[in-house]
Amino acid sequence: MLFLILLLMAAPLLAEPPAAATTNMTCLRCHGMKTLAYRHPSTGKIVDLFVEQVALSHSVHGKLACTECHDGDFAHYPHRAETQQRSLSCVKCHEQQDDATKRHYQFTTIDAEYAKSIHATSDAVEAAAFNCHSCHDPHRFHASQIGDSLATIIHNDNALCLTCHEQARLKHAWLPNRERHWETVRCLDCHTPVTDSKQPVSHHILSAADSNHDCVSCHSKNSQLLNRLYRYRAANDVASHGWLNTAIFNEAYVVGMSRSAVLDRLALVIIGLTLCVLLAHGIGRYRAQQRLLRKQQ
Amino acid sequence: MSASYLYPRWVRIWHWLNALLFAILIVSGGSLHFTGHPWLLDFATARPLHNITGLLLIISWVAFIIGNVMTNNDRHYRVQWRGFLGRLFTQGRYYAVGIFRNEPHPFHPSEAMKFNTLQQLSYLGVMYVLVPLLVISGAAFLLAVYLPDTIFGLGSIWVVAMLHLTVAYSLVLFVLVHLYIITTGDTVTTNLRAMLTGWHRDDQQETTK
Ligand code: HEC
Ligand code: HEC
Ligand code: HEC
Ligand code: HEC
Ligand code: HEC
Ligand code: HEC
Ligand code: HEC
Repeated sequence: MLFLILLLMAAPLLAEPPAAATTNMTCLRCHGMKTLAYRHPSTGKIVDLFVEQVALSHSVHGKLACTECHDGDFAHYPHRAETQQRSLSCVKCHEQQDDATKRHYQFTTIDAEYAKSIHATSDAVEAAAFNCHSCHDPHRFHASQIGDSLATIIHNDNALCLTCHEQARLKHAWLPNRERHWETVRCLDCHTPVTDSKQPVSHHILSAADSNHDCVSCHSKNSQLLNRLYRYRAANDVASHGWLNTAIFNEAYVVGMSRSAVLDRLALVIIGLTLCVLLAHGIGRYRAQQRLLRKQQ
Repeated sequence: MSASYLYPRWVRIWHWLNALLFAILIVSGGSLHFTGHPWLLDFATARPLHNITGLLLIISWVAFIIGNVMTNNDRHYRVQWRGFLGRLFTQGRYYAVGIFRNEPHPFHPSEAMKFNTLQQLSYLGVMYVLVPLLVISGAAFLLAVYLPDTIFGLGSIWVVAMLHLTVAYSLVLFVLVHLYIITTGDTVTTNLRAMLTGWHRDDQQETTK
């Protein structure tokens, strides 16, 4: 009864439009304009200030108000200079969250992996200002979920790498069926270590020299590299082991990895039996021959 | 002692080349399917080997068909329906029973018909059903990029792969039996020598009669 009353009392609160929308509108009045940008005084680069509302609302941060992250004094324009200088970090902010340790991925792990990655360690000039935001726009980022279609995950993740690495396509001439591979494996799968951190994404991107081009790390029964990608498969897909089920749910047939245990076992048993029959037949013939020889003597 | 010229040169050359292709395909195919086993070829080696040999098998199959059409070799593949079941039974009974009682071969290969009914059936099955299926599914594998995503609601590469694998296993089975049947001529090497020289000798006939 008490519960019911509480619920009734809570109802009007739930029905109220989320506060975020209203405050976001005050910012989007300006930042919702596609053309809002300025030239950075020192670097001379164009800073795009446009924030797409629809993308933001579909992103992992869709429920947050602008001001929950941009907690400085942005309400007034011109914004105060000192508020603008404050830099926001995915890792720092997320480590402060209550449920930080309960996620299936840890921002501290990601941070540690990223710190070792080629993008963080490269001396190349283009990689100088590299950080999480080079790959993840906080206003758009949407992490793949378990059960999402593998094809879509692969396509999105690879598209990200290809925005900067379109030229790299040519560097993979050694890989047969290249286009097929890029539809069915992620760049990340070859460009991260084989060691398994139990997370579907490793952020430890290796240099070209250290990257994996051993076919057998995927094309074998204990495919190590693909395990990570296949973590995205829904639990009921993974649970089904029958060959028909595997055929339906496994989106890719990976030579050497995808095997139908039933067919293989059946075939090997039949082949084994045939060999036994042939052997027995041969022995029978040999003995008949011996009998014949004895008779002729 | 009688001898007949059963295997013209082109048939023998084709046969041995085909046998070589089969051997390479079985080893490289097994290496792809069971990758990682120490006895097998390296995946990166096995793949081009299997692909090239597979393409050669297509050529070999076409050559076989052309050869049969151009010469009268295809007479051996024409099933004589009259008395078919009877002959099938006789031949089957011979392998199951008669051979152990040293009975004479019920069938004598001749230039008109070199295959006994069982042989004829199995070669028809192999050359006109299994090998075409193998070659078609193999080609579909190579051109997998152009396949639709699903056939009959199943992943199309899965359908192709399982067909290819089933046919391949069946052919392995055929090869095993074939290798054994070679030894069941009048002497252990009669049939082998016939395929090498072209001449089939019916020597045991004289001694047993
Ligand atoms: C009247 C238009 C206007 C409104 C309203 C507005 N901004 Fe801005 N904002 C700008 C302009 C223009 C800049 C470019 C830098 C400058 O001129 O200070 C900017 C800069 C920024 C920057 C810094 C970008 C950078 O890296 O330099 C952030 C963050 C920001 N705004 C957030 C907000 C938030 C959050 C709100 C809502 C609470 C908001 N703004 C409301 C116009 C506006
Ligand atoms: C999850 C926290 C978060 C939320 C919510 C958020 N932002 Fe941001 N925003 C950031 C971070 C982090 C950066 C810095 C990105 C970088 O350094 O490249 C940023 C950068 C910006 C910039 C600078 C230009 C750019 O894109 O780098 C503007 C303008 C901005 N935000 C406006 C907004 C507005 C307007 C909203 C609400 C509609 C909003 N932000 C919501 C985290 C957030
Ligand atoms: C200023 C704080 C802040 C910053 C900076 C920030 N986030 Fe978040 N992020 C949040 C909050 C708060 C949530 C929880 C949103 C919710 O529960 O709806 C969240 C949610 C997420 C989620 C989904 C939550 C989940 O279930 O795991 C992911 C993924 C994520 N953020 C990634 C990032 C990445 C990547 C960056 C850097 C590009 C980033 N965040 C920057 C505050 C932040
Ligand atoms: C080189 C590009 C790149 C950089 C740099 C990068 N990430 Fe990622 N990150 C990815 C890709 C690709 C994914 C996979 C996205 C997907 O499909 O969910 C990902 C996924 C994530 C996820 C979701 C993890 C999951 O298991 O679903 C989080 C959280 C994340 N990144 C945080 C970070 C943080 C924090 C940093 C900075 C320390 C960072 N990323 C730097 C490319 C990058
Ligand atoms: C924002 C642009 C950008 C994105 C996005 C990006 N990279 Fe990079 N990447 C770079 C830069 C810059 C370098 C360093 C320059 C260099 O060494 O060529 C680099 C270097 C590399 C190298 C090392 C090349 C070498 O010569 O050793 C690899 C491998 C690599 N990236 C893979 C990836 C993968 C995989 C992704 C997607 C998860 C990705 N990158 C996303 C910009 C990017
Ligand atoms: C099958 C594994 C595999 C896949 C998939 C793969 N790569 Fe690579 N990649 C490699 C290997 C191995 C090298 C090193 C090649 C060498 O040593 O020449 C390499 C080299 C590179 C380089 C360095 C090229 C250079 O300039 O030397 C970049 C950048 C790169 N890959 C990006 C990508 C991107 C982006 C994708 C996804 C579209 C991708 N890779 C997919 C294995 C892979
Ligand atoms: C990161 C894992 C990975 C690596 C490394 C890898 N492959 Fe693949 N390969 C796949 C996947 C996944 C497919 C997709 C099969 C499909 O089409 O569904 C595939 C498909 C193929 C195919 C086409 C057959 C088909 O089913 O379409 C060939 C051939 C192939 N790989 C050869 C190689 C060779 C040779 C190497 C080593 C140089 C290699 N692969 C390395 C994952 C990998």
